[in-house]
Amino acid sequence: MKVVLQTTLLVASAALASGAWAAGKPLAKECGPNNDYVIGFSQANFKEPYREHVNHELERLVKNYPKFKLVIADGQATVNTQVSQVENFMTQHVDLLMISPFEAAPLTPSVSAAYKAGVPVIELDRKTSGDNYTAFVGGDNRAIAKEAGEWAAKTLLPDGGEAAILEGLPSSSPAIERLEGFKAGIASNPKIKLVAVQPVDWMEDQAVTVFSAMLQAHPDIKLVYTSNDLAAAGAYIAAKQAGKADQVKIIGTDGLPGPSGGIRAVADGQWAATFTYPTGAAQALELAKKILIDCATEVPRNILVPTQRIDQANAKSLYGKEKF
Amino acid sequence: MSTTPTSTATAAVRPRNSLLTYLVRFQSLLGLVLVVSAGIMFSPRRHGHILFLAPDNVANIIRSISETGILSLGMTFVIIAAGIDLSVGAVLGLCSVLTATLLVNEGWGLWSTLSLVVATGVIFGAIQGAISTKFRIQAFIVTLAGLQVARGLSLIASNNSFININYGTGPGNAPPAFGILGERIGGVFPVATLVFLVLAVVAAFLLNNTRYGRYVVAVGGNEKAARLSGIPVSAIKISVYALTGFVAAIAGIVHAGQFSFGSPNDGAGYELTAIAAVVIGGTDLFGGAGSMIGTIAGAVMLGALANILQLNDVSAAMQLLATGAIIVVAAALQTYVVGRGVSAR
Repeated sequence: MKVVLQTTLLVASAALASGAWAAGKPLAKECGPNNDYVIGFSQANFKEPYREHVNHELERLVKNYPKFKLVIADGQATVNTQVSQVENFMTQHVDLLMISPFEAAPLTPSVSAAYKAGVPVIELDRKTSGDNYTAFVGGDNRAIAKEAGEWAAKTLLPDGGEAAILEGLPSSSPAIERLEGFKAGIASNPKIKLVAVQPVDWMEDQAVTVFSAMLQAHPDIKLVYTSNDLAAAGAYIAAKQAGKADQVKIIGTDGLPGPSGGIRAVADGQWAATFTYPTGAAQALELAKKILIDCATEVPRNILVPTQRIDQANAKSLYGKEKF
Repeated sequence: MSTTPTSTATAAVRPRNSLLTYLVRFQSLLGLVLVVSAGIMFSPRRHGHILFLAPDNVANIIRSISETGILSLGMTFVIIAAGIDLSVGAVLGLCSVLTATLLVNEGWGLWSTLSLVVATGVIFGAIQGAISTKFRIQAFIVTLAGLQVARGLSLIASNNSFININYGTGPGNAPPAFGILGERIGGVFPVATLVFLVLAVVAAFLLNNTRYGRYVVAVGGNEKAARLSGIPVSAIKISVYALTGFVAAIAGIVHAGQFSFGSPNDGAGYELTAIAAVVIGGTDLFGGAGSMIGTIAGAVMLGALANILQLNDVSAAMQLLATGAIIVVAAALQTYVVGRGVSAR
């Protein structure tokens, strides 16, 4: 009888323990408030101002977490290089992997391998395919561009007119999503006529050339949507050279800070507005803290950071408040 | 320099087998040894293990250079023949896109897809070679144009988009066998590297042990002499570009398989890494002399260098500076030692 009781107890406690293990296992293999942690961040590339902005934000904010050491690697806009970096982070045994994949599918196997090896993975701005990551932090390109389109259709061109789009790098997913989102947004006003769409590969100099030609071909363009702030800066130069800086309303995307960023351009009245693409740096680091220091057993899987419209109403005060 | 004839001759006039000449001949192997030693010395350690030498890390290094390594094999032939091919990165992109679109969007079988892609690469290269030879346009210009054309074609083939490769049966899926290029043998050795290795052996044999290899060296060394001795110079010159087209196609297939992905923008700048590997490997940019083993060692060295710098969290800027410095040193060593040979004549 005693033996039976003991066995039952043993089995019951084992079942309880394994149940607790399944439900309450921390996401990180090693966690707790007393260790130091290395976070490896594989950035798609260091060339785009937006990505530099993300790096700066992360570096600025990580100082609030004395236990974290942040290492940022440049993926050089090459999937091969970025895959190598993820592999190298694994060799270095980083405690948490953050990544903005340059392209989704090619990075998926190495990120999945890291995740399956027990390293928590936070994806920033872009996702890999499949489910093998701990959490995603980012914005919704399509929604942001759609919001820009709807706002422009209602506020900037309520009476309609000709509009143009300067696309990013064709074939890159954010470029495609922003293009489609904006088209969907301005469709809410049938009086707006989209007369020209051209790729400028996210580049300012390309935007100048392309938008100059567009203004030659369509002198009545009243609105241009650009997929990033750099292209918006290029569009402004072209409009100014054509003597049409007042006629053409420019919308940027990213809302970068600093003297050469979009917030200032709006504050100075060069553009009508820019829509921030959030970096998610603060949210990502907070997640890392939950996983590594608080030993979280569960975190939200998708954290969508909303966009903020920067227009004449708020640009000046935002620019004044910047810490850069 | 271009008026002083031939490195085949140079080789003959370079009898002083000084230690320096010998070392420079195998400079990239020497460089590889140096980089690996530095890697071991400066490698981060964990529980006493040298991370740089961990099997996984070595596998990562040789995987990272598999595609540019494959490109550099063909590039060695072109440069020995006193040419250059700037189009290989773009042709790699084109072939990765073609592979993806044929398998996924067009529902072609594996072998028909691979045959067409390889044929595309070979024909693309051969056309560049033919234009350069027949119209006497410098290969630099022709392949620069070829780079643009290949990028344009890949945008058309991909319909301005990237193509994800999913595996399975039925329309919209690639045959699962194609996914093997992304696998690792025994969980360690990357299949992509195996492709590089096999091609490297074939390329080394072709260059060192066949009549074709000797013809390429002869054409690059002194075209006129080669013609007078009955070598089909034009055919040889066209063939080396067909060869780079071939390796670019293979690298493109490896790219598509390795990353399950075809993108018209991929492979940008790969031509420069391939050329760097060839130069570090000791092949003379004026043609007529070169070493396949040197090229292979050069390619591995660049990968090992990038790896050890990354493992130590050295900034991206410093990595570029280091690579640049090594290219200059390699070229300077060549000119210094080979240059002495020329002036001694």
